[in-house]
Parts: sequence; C-alpha cells; structure tokens
Amino acid sequence: MTDRTPMPLHIDGLGVDLGGHRVLQGVSLAVAAGATMAIIGASGCGKTTLLRAIAGLLPLAAGRIALGPQRVDALPPQRRGIVYLNQEPLLFPHLNVFDNIAFGLRLRHQAERTIRQQVDELLVQLELDALAPRSPQALSGGQRQRAAFGRALIVAPSLLLLDEPFSNLDPETRIAMQQVFKQLAHARGITALFVTHDLKESLRMGDHFAMMHDGRLRHYPDRAAFCADPATGVAREASFWSDLAIGPAAAPVPQDDSHA
Amino acid sequence: MRRLLAMLLGAALLLPLALLLLLSVSRQWTWPVLWPDRWQLRLWHDLLSDTAGIASAVARSLLMAIGVGLLATALGFPTSRRLARHRRRGRLLALIHLPYALSPVVLAVGLLFVFLKWHLAGHMAGVMLAQLIFAYAYAVILLSGFWNPRTDALVDLARTLGADGRQVWWRVLLPMALPMLTVCLFQTFLISWFDYPLALLIGSGQVQTLTIRLFEYFSSGDIRLAASCALLLMAPPLLALLVNHRLLSSAAAPHLETLDD
Repeated sequence: MTDRTPMPLHIDGLGVDLGGHRVLQGVSLAVAAGATMAIIGASGCGKTTLLRAIAGLLPLAAGRIALGPQRVDALPPQRRGIVYLNQEPLLFPHLNVFDNIAFGLRLRHQAERTIRQQVDELLVQLELDALAPRSPQALSGGQRQRAAFGRALIVAPSLLLLDEPFSNLDPETRIAMQQVFKQLAHARGITALFVTHDLKESLRMGDHFAMMHDGRLRHYPDRAAFCADPATGVAREASFWSDLAIGPAAAPVPQDDSHA
Repeated sequence: MRRLLAMLLGAALLLPLALLLLLSVSRQWTWPVLWPDRWQLRLWHDLLSDTAGIASAVARSLLMAIGVGLLATALGFPTSRRLARHRRRGRLLALIHLPYALSPVVLAVGLLFVFLKWHLAGHMAGVMLAQLIFAYAYAVILLSGFWNPRTDALVDLARTLGADGRQVWWRVLLPMALPMLTVCLFQTFLISWFDYPLALLIGSGQVQTLTIRLFEYFSSGDIRLAASCALLLMAPPLLALLVNHRLLSSAAAPHLETLDD
C-alpha cells in the first residue's frame, strides 16, 4: 500500500512572514519516525501557519525542513509526501466516499484493482464500508472526518499534519475519533504533528509535546516536563478536577433530622 | 391551496405557448370564435423546408448562441479565478458590471461605430463579438462565486495529496465547478439566443437571426409566422431547461439521504 515509509521530521530555525510581519520565528523541532507530536497553543499563536508552511502551502522566510535524510522545503507541496488535514473535514463534493478515499491513488495512476482492494480494506477499518457509495453531503461530521483520514492515510504520507481535526465534533464522537487515529497511526507507523487547543486531547494523542506562543515553539523533552510547566495549564486543569472531586466530600453533609 | 397555485402558475406559463401553437396551425381564426375555423400545416412545412429562410435563421442563431455560450464560459472561468485573487477585486468586479449598467442599445450604438471601422458590422462574427461582451461579463460575475476559501482549502488539500497543477484543474476544479459551468453555459447561450438589439444594430440587416425574423413578421402583421418563430425561439431554452433540471436533480439526489453516525 505504501509508497513512502515513516520518516523522522527535523525542522530547524523556521521563519514565516505574512503581510510583512514575521509570524513564525526560529521554530525548531524533531519528531521520531512513527511518533506523534502534540502542539498546543491559543488561537492566533501561529499553529496553522506552522502546519501550512511545513506542507509547502506557505513560503518560508528562513529555516529548513527535513524528512529523514531529505530536505523538503524546496519541493512543491505535491512532492513532499506531507498531507495536511484541515480543521474542517473537507471531502471533494463531486466524489462519493469510495472515490474520495481513492483520490490519492488515482493521482498516482494505480491499477483499478489495486485501488479497489486498498480502499475496501481501509473502508472496513474505518467502519465506512456501508457508506462507500454515499455523497459527502449525506455523511455526519464524524463520518466525514473518518473518510478524510482514510483519504490521507491511503497514500501513506511520510508526515501527517492535523490541524485541530476534531474540534468541530461532539465530545463522544471526538473521543471515538481520537481512538481511531491512535490505532491507525500506530498500525501504519505514521509520523504526525497534531495541533490542538485542547489539553486533554494533546495528552491523549501526543508522544512528544510542544507549546506554541506568539509564533515561537517550546519543545518539551517528555510528558512530565510538559505537565510540569505552568504555562501549558496542565497543573491548573488537574487542580480544577481535583478540587471538584474533593469538594463534595469535604463539604458538610446536610442532615435530615425531620424524623428525629 | 398549493396545488391550486401550482395549476395557476402552470396555466400562466403554458397558455401563451398553447395560443402560439394554435396560431401557427390556424388558417382562419375570426373574432369572437374561441377555436380556429380552419387549420393548416403549410407554415410548418415552409419553415422546415426553409422556403422563408427561417430554418437558416434558426441554424444561424443556434450556431451563434452555442459559440457565444462556449466562449463566454471557457473565458469566464479562468478570468473569474484571476479576479478572485486580484488585490483590486472589488473595483474590477464593479467594472465588469458596466455592460449591464448601460442599456444594450446604447452600447450597441457605441460598438457599431467601432465595428464599422473594424469591418465587423454586418457580419456574424461582429454580432457574436458584441454578444460576447455581455455574455462574458455575465459569466465572470456568475463564476466569481465559485472561488471562495473552501475551494482554496480543497485545492491545497489536493496538492498535499499529490495533485500537480494539471490534476488540480481536471480532477478537482472542473468537476467541482461542473454544475455552475452548466448553468453558465445555459445562461450565456440564452443571452445570445434571445438577443435582438445587438443583432439588429451590429448585424445591420445582414445577419438574419431568429429574433430578427420574428420582429420582421410581427411588424409586418404576419401574426401566424411570428407565432411559429416564437415557438421555435422557445424550443431550445425549454429543452435545455429540461436537461439542466434533470442534471441538477440527479446531482442533488444524494443530498436527500438521511444522516446517521
């Protein structure tokens, strides 16, 4: 199925200018092959810009991007082997679910029998096999997101960029989708950057952790360091839930003495 | 109530057509008789055998309308893309409305002056060029709506999935725009098909389109030939509308499926 193998990602001193302003400054990071880096940050801090620049959809003002031994920053987006998944699960409206997932394989002129076999297999894994002939407009948000994942995974990208992919889903579907992603990413050894503003999601999805603030990236050596940094808000979140759990027990229990 | 309204609407659309049809096959229809006294098929025979030159006018009008529709749509699509990305998009879009701000007659008079110098007046190419000005402007305005952030996001997505520039056009943009392009082709076809002032002034009597023949018969008091021409004028748009409706209905059908997760 794959035309590329998972690659480690190395970014060094990345800078991006938008509208005459430097919006990303000296961003450096490293992600091991097959691992997921979760990046958190407030809205407008430059997370989407970072992903779009890595995908080749924005020009770099400085820095270098390498996937394994190969520098990719001079390559056009279609030759980088990097798939960018938008916040909104965008499916091609003129194609049904099957053809959406097969899109990347058809671009590569794969044989129709190979395409059918690979797409059918992935549809089963994504529990979309019954929906293969449906139009994207006839799918729910979760189904659309699964189809969008399938379309990205089937081309076996060297790197998958996920831009808050579950932010528009309801909590239940969101958790289900996180599990789907974890399983598939692990099974296929996908190297990924997962951008989110949800702390819990970042802790669930990430193997590496980073935080973006004002166009700069802070990279943590491990999960413990990420949780220990007050700036990430993990300690504050834990404290909130801890207080909530302890609160009712600590409060005085109302006494019903009407029968006394 | 809704059924009654639908029937009234249907009658309002069909009765004039029925009247034209009756006129075209009537030989004698005297007031106040509700039904023609005598019938004939001679007019239709003459039309089909091109005795009166109407079949030629139909063929000429069809050729011009198809040409103008295809050219306006083919040129309007890339132009609308360039326009959508231009930093002075608003100003350019206002400028492209200009042919519609002026009366076609006023524009035709202005064009006639230029076209006489360029030896285009009195030629089919000249009339088509004049009609193309309106049709092209219409196509650009209509197709501008296709270029939006969602389309850009889908193009970006296709590129990261491996599509080169040619594949983006053939596998993403053109199939996605197909319903809008069909509507554009249909509408720009109609701009040329129904045109009268440009054919009259730029054609200078040398380019006999169906609308020109229709008005000639009408002004000469030959109401039966005028009715036949009017029916012929209505035929392609009705046919195109029917085909278009079927195409759009089949495209919209999957949207009616229920959602479940």
